[in-house]
Amino acid sequence: MDLGVATSGPITREFSAVVIAGFGNELVPLTSNNGAEPCPKALVPLANKPMIDYVMSWIEQAGVKDVLLICPSIHRPMISHHVHSGLSTLRIDVQTYDESPEGNTGTCTLLRHFANRISEDFILLPCDFIPPPSLSLSTILNKHRTESVSDGSVATACWFAAQKPDKTSLVEDWGSIPPPVPIVWDDATGTLLQVDTADDSDRNSEELELRMSLLSQYPRTRLSSRYQDSHVYVCRRSVLDLLQEKKHFDSFREEFIPWLCKVQYQRTKREKYGHILNPITNIITQNVSLRHSTLRAQAKVYSKSVLHQSDDADASSPFDPESTTDSSSLRVGIVLHPATAGFATRVNNIHSLLDMNRRLLAETTYALPTDPQNRSLIDPKAQISSDTIIGAFTQVSERTTIKKSVIGKHCVLGKMARITGCVLLDHCVIEDGAKIDGCILGKNTKVGAKAELTRCVTQAGYEVGSGETFKNEKLDVSDWTAGPDESEEDDDDDEEETDDDDDEDGDKEEDDSEEEKD
Amino acid sequence: MAPKSTAGNEKLLDDQAEVLQAVILADSFNKRFRPLTTRKPRCLLPICNAPLLDWTLESLALAGVQEIFVICRSHPEQIKAKIAESRWSKPGSGIKIVPILTAKETFSPGDAMRDIYTRGLVTGDFVLVMGDLVSNIRIDEVVKVHKERRKTNKDAIMTMVVKESGAKHRTRSKADSAVFVLDSETSECLHFESMMGYPPSTMASIPREILATHPDVEIRNDFIDCSIDICSVEVPSLFQDNFDYLDIRRDFVHGVLTSDLLMKNIYCYVAKEGYAARVQDTKSYESISKDILSRWTFPLVPDNNHPAGHLYEHIRGNKYIDKDGTVILARTSTVGNKCLIGSSTRVSDNAQIISSVVGRDCFIGAGAIIDNSYIFSGTRIGPGCVIERSIIGYNVDIKENTRIDRGSLVGDGVIIGPNAHLKAFGRLSKKRETKTTGDESEADEYADSEEEEVESAQDSITVDLGTASNAIVWPPNAPDEDEDSEDVENVKNQRFMRLGDSASDLAFSDPGSESSGEESESSEEDSDFDKHVDNLPTSSATSLSLDPNDSSTDAIAESEFRNEVKLSLERAFAEGHSVDNAAVELKTLRMASNVPLSRVRESVVSAIVERIKIIDGGGVTQRQEIANVVSRWGPLINKIGGVDMVETVTALQAHCASSERLPLFGQILAALYQNDIIEEDDIREWHQAATSQGLGLSPSVRTDNIKKCWEIGSRMIQQFDEQSDDSENESGEEEGGTEDEDEEGGEESDSSADEDDEEEDEEDE
Repeated sequence: MDLGVATSGPITREFSAVVIAGFGNELVPLTSNNGAEPCPKALVPLANKPMIDYVMSWIEQAGVKDVLLICPSIHRPMISHHVHSGLSTLRIDVQTYDESPEGNTGTCTLLRHFANRISEDFILLPCDFIPPPSLSLSTILNKHRTESVSDGSVATACWFAAQKPDKTSLVEDWGSIPPPVPIVWDDATGTLLQVDTADDSDRNSEELELRMSLLSQYPRTRLSSRYQDSHVYVCRRSVLDLLQEKKHFDSFREEFIPWLCKVQYQRTKREKYGHILNPITNIITQNVSLRHSTLRAQAKVYSKSVLHQSDDADASSPFDPESTTDSSSLRVGIVLHPATAGFATRVNNIHSLLDMNRRLLAETTYALPTDPQNRSLIDPKAQISSDTIIGAFTQVSERTTIKKSVIGKHCVLGKMARITGCVLLDHCVIEDGAKIDGCILGKNTKVGAKAELTRCVTQAGYEVGSGETFKNEKLDVSDWTAGPDESEEDDDDDEEETDDDDDEDGDKEEDDSEEEKD
Repeated sequence: MAPKSTAGNEKLLDDQAEVLQAVILADSFNKRFRPLTTRKPRCLLPICNAPLLDWTLESLALAGVQEIFVICRSHPEQIKAKIAESRWSKPGSGIKIVPILTAKETFSPGDAMRDIYTRGLVTGDFVLVMGDLVSNIRIDEVVKVHKERRKTNKDAIMTMVVKESGAKHRTRSKADSAVFVLDSETSECLHFESMMGYPPSTMASIPREILATHPDVEIRNDFIDCSIDICSVEVPSLFQDNFDYLDIRRDFVHGVLTSDLLMKNIYCYVAKEGYAARVQDTKSYESISKDILSRWTFPLVPDNNHPAGHLYEHIRGNKYIDKDGTVILARTSTVGNKCLIGSSTRVSDNAQIISSVVGRDCFIGAGAIIDNSYIFSGTRIGPGCVIERSIIGYNVDIKENTRIDRGSLVGDGVIIGPNAHLKAFGRLSKKRETKTTGDESEADEYADSEEEEVESAQDSITVDLGTASNAIVWPPNAPDEDEDSEDVENVKNQRFMRLGDSASDLAFSDPGSESSGEESESSEEDSDFDKHVDNLPTSSATSLSLDPNDSSTDAIAESEFRNEVKLSLERAFAEGHSVDNAAVELKTLRMASNVPLSRVRESVVSAIVERIKIIDGGGVTQRQEIANVVSRWGPLINKIGGVDMVETVTALQAHCASSERLPLFGQILAALYQNDIIEEDDIREWHQAATSQGLGLSPSVRTDNIKKCWEIGSRMIQQFDEQSDDSENESGEEEGGTEDEDEEGGEESDSSADEDDEEEDEEDE
């Protein structure tokens, strides 16, 4: 190996990750404001770990270093503090957009807005995809790496088999599960060919329409409604240029990707947008063999460029846009994660939040904390089943039973409480004798003595009075100024916040110094 | 225990004892081979020197079929005779072949099926094939699978055998193919959609309800439909119940799959190995001949198991010469690869035979060229003839120096030449004898009105067929071919089935018209896109309402144009052209691309705005930069061939709203004003327009930006108002006043820029 040649110019980054964190409207009331303080979706915990951590570590494992995190501006302090306080080696650039929870800014709009910050191929990720251990981001990246060079694919998507929720655990009041999206793909090459959109089903609700140009190019395709979009897309940088061209697209998944799928087999679109995508490919070299194939009809398309190529092979570089757009597939690759290979989900509704928590619980075994301070908080007479997670500094009083639950940090659980199949976020207070079954309690929820909650979701800071009973409800705080206790609590929060800010500054300074070193 | 097992044994015995029946529909029910099939049924046309029916019987024998019913309609006596002399009719062959003569009113496979039902021919599961099948697929395997399935699912009434190939395989008929939707695991056929070459099918529509019961399905457009169906005994009765079923695929399969009442299932058997194809038309006749010669149909190849019992010697290059040693090849003649030559055929000096099949007892004259053609037995081809991709019938006499172009069909007994020239796709048949002997009259019975019609029309056709010719010319498009363009048999669709016809004009229009559908769709989208843009410029709304057919090309032209403008301006900027020169260049571009003036203006404005460098820190240096660029290039905006200052402001707003130069909007506006590129009244007019206020736009970042721009404009107008008050008082200080205005305007936009800076500072923390 000649090392002398390799050191020309700085090493360019191969990929940067773009993580979009939204308001989490589907997780309301968990993401409703806790007083003046927002509850960002990205920080809603799963098994006591904010969901964004799962995404971030997934990115980190794939060796990607740079993350552009886009979140609403009001979430910025909290998210920024969180992502910069961990041990992660990622360089995270937190950017914001102004928006109210009601208005919905699409991913395309965000990407267009931040396009100047993305200078290389990028990975678009949601903050709520919880990948299974069997699916690594590198798998998707590798497919993209190979195919973007070998036949000029422009993007790679990842879909996973959606688990059908069992009817018994389904609470209708928690909101509906999004309907499955039928997709058409080619199994042999792993190419996404068509995504059924709401427009399509509006136009023809009876039938799914497929173009013959698709079917003649990919004569053997699969159609399934089992899969769900992970919203993980690896895209070439030129996709952003295309987005600038098509300004009316707002949603990436619902509008842009279905459209992008069509570019590869619709001739006019191809001619029009091919040069913008400007794919790189070395397919020309494989043409001769492809021409003899009866199974692959694409060979015919390439023949023109083959002739052209052989006429003056020296004159036209392989990056000649004319010949490459002619011959490259401009396709959208797809990685499918089957149900048998491990559970994946997007935590974008309350059902999946609870479900994912339960699945994570199944993998853990609870052991009493070893450090004496935490140990002392848990009463020896409390009954805690092994499939439970209890956060640090949480106090569990005597004869309290906890089964299959996730208890956050700094919670206070009174005596004789029964907690079954629940998720309690941080700082919850459960008073004596309360019974909670299948609930998700937001931060700072207080449950009064002997109250009973069954399959409820509460907003942060909600208070359930003593002896009250709720079933199958979403409980949100209607009036914030009521009650004298609140103000004290707010003060506490403020103090915490200032602490946070200090931390943040400290972190940033560190970051700065690191950057200087670089 | 014991009785149970014997019961099982009995059942086994029953299964074995059950005779496997097959039904051959020995009529094509169409006229694609005319005039070769005027005196003879299609199933007796020879392919590789053996009648199609023999190939079909051979295929069935291979599958272990024991009883075969041959349903014949036209020329039944010939078929009967053929069957009688077939080797399968000999005692000891183990196969019973029963010819069934169906009524002349049987016009479709559906009618034939109804006939089978009324006659009560079949007793159990049976194999239904067409009389033109060439196959080596183990049909018995399929029957086994079918019977196995029937044990658990009584509603599985039919199994279709399909062969995997490619979408554009040569044996796959473009004119009459189909898209199958199968369940990935069970191969149950869930949806069937037949496709046509012309008018081209652009869409396959798959019922969504399929997904409710079968979430994973496969969509296959790569099957060759072999027309081998394993049918249960219910199938003929279903035809009887639904008297409108004509075609087995298009009507019966489609009907069963879409019916809510029948609740029957049809399965597919995807043959991965083996060969099966139907000689449906002249094109598939050619491709199947080639497939046989290339030995795809092994063990059914000319040198082994030849259905007509001929013996051929297989020579390297897939040449087959009859083994009996009667073939005479002149020393200087050439026989190319993939050729088959029957016994007692003589090939004279310098004759060339290229990828062709020549029957028995033929004579090929000196120097004749036979290229990709199929010559039946007893034919004489004179010296110097050229025959290209054609089918020549029995006992034809082609006299010297005759040329027959591709795609021609020459009927039995025709004499042409000498020195005649038959143009491409010509069709000839022999004139009928005027004096009718007994035999002939019987034949005439079956020669239908079409032939008479052709004959009566001869006077109008003037083609020189040579002095000795006895031929009548068939018109290019058969006269009584139904004009119904929806039908598979429509004239243009037929062209995809025609030998030697690449149908390139149609084939080109095929993807073309497919994409014309796309075009209309994309133009929909694009005009959509244009609308979004056009919502902004107030006065350019006229450019929007384009004809949907033209708009897509216009859209392409426009995007091209924009690119060009960008490039040309970049050149001008870089090389420091004068404003006038740049303007001339733009005018030429506009002429060339024929785009509205507003587009030019938009492009120029955006190019100039992009020209302005963003200077960090803003302030004076930034203002200086703007002033420089605007004073240098601003005048260009009004020199492009028309002055519309309101539009200029709108274009500026539109561009800034989606650009990172948003904070500079106020300053640029001020600079334009200062350089007299726009005037106060124009700013006011722009300011009042609804679109510039961002009304009627869906909320987005861009709309917000547009609103921001509008607010900056409002501030400017406020200043104008103040200033005009001032200037009324002190008209002498007007100039100084405007400067102040600009200062203030600048400051304001600065302040907005500062805000941004603050934001950035935050981010930088």
